[in-house]
Amino acid sequence: MQESIIKLVGISKVFPGVVANDNINLEIRRGEIHAIVGENGAGKSTLMKIIYGLYQPTAGEIYINGRLMNVANPQIAIKNGIGMVHQHFMLVPSFTAAENVVLGSEPRKNTVFMDFEEAVIITKALSEKYGLYVDPYQKVEDLSVGIQQRIEILKVLYRGADILILDEPTAVLTPQETQELFAIMRRLVKDMGKTIIIITHKLQEVLEVSHRVSVMRRGKLVGTMDTKDATEQILAEMMVGKEVVFDKFHANQNKGKTLMEVKNLVVRDNRGFIAVDGISFSVAAGEILGVAGVEGNGQTELVEALTGLRKVEEGSILVNGKDMANRSPSEFRKMGISHIPEDRLKTGLAPEASVNENLLMGYQHKKPYESFGMKLNKKAIYQKTAQLIKQFDIRTPSGQTKVKSLSGGNMQKLVVAREFSFNSPILIISQPTRGLDIGAIEFIHRQIIEMRDAGRAILLISADLDEIFRLSDRIVTIYEGKLTGEFMTADVTKQAIGLYMTGKNLSTAG
Amino acid sequence: MKKIKLSQDLEYIFSLALSIVLALIIGALIILANGKSPLTAYASLINGSLGSPYKMATTLAKTVPLILTGLATAVAFSSGIFNIGGEGQLYLGAFAAAYVGFTFTNLPGLIGIPLALIFAALAGGFYALIPALLKVKYGIDEVITTIMFNSIAILFTGYLANYPFASSVGKMGATEMIAPAYKLLRLVARSKLHTGIFFTAVIALAIYYLMEKTSVGYDFKMIGTNLIFAKYGGINAERNMVIAMIISGVLCGIAGAFEVLGNHYRFLQAISPGYAFDGMLVSLIVKNKVVGVILMSIFFGILKTGSIAMEFETAIPSELVLVIQAIIILFIAGEKGFAQILRRIHAKEGVRGDV
Repeated sequence: MQESIIKLVGISKVFPGVVANDNINLEIRRGEIHAIVGENGAGKSTLMKIIYGLYQPTAGEIYINGRLMNVANPQIAIKNGIGMVHQHFMLVPSFTAAENVVLGSEPRKNTVFMDFEEAVIITKALSEKYGLYVDPYQKVEDLSVGIQQRIEILKVLYRGADILILDEPTAVLTPQETQELFAIMRRLVKDMGKTIIIITHKLQEVLEVSHRVSVMRRGKLVGTMDTKDATEQILAEMMVGKEVVFDKFHANQNKGKTLMEVKNLVVRDNRGFIAVDGISFSVAAGEILGVAGVEGNGQTELVEALTGLRKVEEGSILVNGKDMANRSPSEFRKMGISHIPEDRLKTGLAPEASVNENLLMGYQHKKPYESFGMKLNKKAIYQKTAQLIKQFDIRTPSGQTKVKSLSGGNMQKLVVAREFSFNSPILIISQPTRGLDIGAIEFIHRQIIEMRDAGRAILLISADLDEIFRLSDRIVTIYEGKLTGEFMTADVTKQAIGLYMTGKNLSTAG
Repeated sequence: MKKIKLSQDLEYIFSLALSIVLALIIGALIILANGKSPLTAYASLINGSLGSPYKMATTLAKTVPLILTGLATAVAFSSGIFNIGGEGQLYLGAFAAAYVGFTFTNLPGLIGIPLALIFAALAGGFYALIPALLKVKYGIDEVITTIMFNSIAILFTGYLANYPFASSVGKMGATEMIAPAYKLLRLVARSKLHTGIFFTAVIALAIYYLMEKTSVGYDFKMIGTNLIFAKYGGINAERNMVIAMIISGVLCGIAGAFEVLGNHYRFLQAISPGYAFDGMLVSLIVKNKVVGVILMSIFFGILKTGSIAMEFETAIPSELVLVIQAIIILFIAGEKGFAQILRRIHAKEGVRGDV
């Protein structure tokens, strides 16, 4: 058990403006299940991608089986017995299970044609050997997510992997499927001598399945310990940290009347499952309500429902006493709700369009930017965009530059500039500083506080607890689509919130 | 040293120019392989398309349907709705114009011609509206429906021209001639260039204004570039897509009308040799930019007209032009590759400059 199979020494990975991994030393032992936990953006996935050869480290060394390796691409990783099951499956839906298992290194007939029968035999043999039962003839598109995951694992095993990296494997599974997966993992390690690295942020799962656990935070490895010595408390503390990086802001002085009230909201996700399960809360003028939670617990769907982008199943969204549930995004905007979306590239911007065009969105049908019902007035528009570019310090060669060539921080400043410029009384702000450097974070935080002091009602959704604590006046925790607790920021610790948002106190909270 | 950054548009124009040059070179090689001189061939191509007022007029006449259907594609595609049904809309528009022309024979041209154009526009627009509604209401893929609608329209108008509205001369796949008052004036002796070119220019200006200078064009383009962003920003994507589709259909309908009023003077069951598809190619090559559509249409017109002269003078089959067009399209599909090469050259120069 003590022999190290992978050893990372001083691994760093720097992306433009972001240090994703900072001098990481980590040892994975043969035959263990090693859990890696951390908040979103802690650098877990980056680290795994480095081991798998998808990224090259900026600095540091990787030893596999004691030998210094340059894992330049996944093929090298596979050759050395490393296999990765990605969070988003990489299967061909219209192919059968067997075809997917052998895809990429198919058995051949006469060296040219794929040997389907052989593929089925291989798949059957593998699934019996490892106890991962699948029907080789079934098409992947007809199979449940849990079975699809088994196929992914079989695929990796077919390529001869000794070390399996599972990237948040339980995120898509039901509780039963999760238990089955854990049983498979235990069998692979115990009976087959495999080594498994599992990335997760569900602490209960870590305690249940792993032998050792490493905690990452803001790109650094906080520590590694035997799971038997760990508790949720200890892990949560390591995950969220104790030190406060930023200065605190002064608390809000004048809370006004309630501007938005949400009652028993129920929303489904893209797959049709209930993602928001009866949530109620209200936000008043001059306050920031923080929604703390690990990503994927219904925040995305909640925000989309609150901005008209997603259908509401049940419940109401009262804005100035008017129920806005299931209204269009433009009606939400007319009611004075601005929205900074969690995914700036997908939702918040048109990357192929220019800075000016991106800033114009929402103004194009307003005077003085438009006249005669359709004519755009260049002069007024350029004046406005130039003023926003200056005011929000958007660093761009010109207003004509395509947004996709800006840095992440400047893209986000652009979104913030546009959304804050409408002077909307209600702001819904989702993951405002994800992936940004410290300077941009500080700038955007100050803007948000300014808005609060100007009497706006702000709903802040963030997976970053530091951000929630720094900005919010009040905090609610969200877990599996339900609010699990409500606190005044001054009266609660990060550790407590950390537990609530990982589901610990679900049974005791309303 | 400050690194020079090329604008994306410039990069594209460079790639496009490179594609055209390469296609012409490959065309030259093919000519060489046939034992002919590429220089003479290309000279006769240019001379045949631009060498005299008559030839220029013929070239321009060829560009009219290309510009209209190209613009139709540009409007729809840049709004994120894919109108592949231009050919069907063109046929219906052509028939509608012919119908007006051979039915209301007593009208003066000043009333009759606009009426025929309006009918053609309505027919094309309405025919585009159906797949647009199917898309936004029921999520039915407009690419599939518009392609199928082509066959329906072409066969239906073919039926009309052969049976209920067949020419009294006999069933030859054509309707009666339109009344003389409907015939658009020819501008250059013997050529088919008609006054429709002025109308086309006005339409092109109007489309340019719409797409580049108005909030409608802005909404269209935002939907086309990022649908989620457009919806998030409060744009009614469904309504705008339908409008863009109607505009697209109207333009194709008018293209059909000009074929009747300016060219054939009657509806023919095979009145278009695939103008709408050529227009689509033109628009795709220039990334659905209005100015680009006009320039590329003229270029295609030159190739088309010149190729016939080339065949006549050098015995090189005019189909060579199709080969050249196809190669341009293949190359432009690899435009990203060209852009990358360009960037690499630039990067190298940058490094050298630093040393």
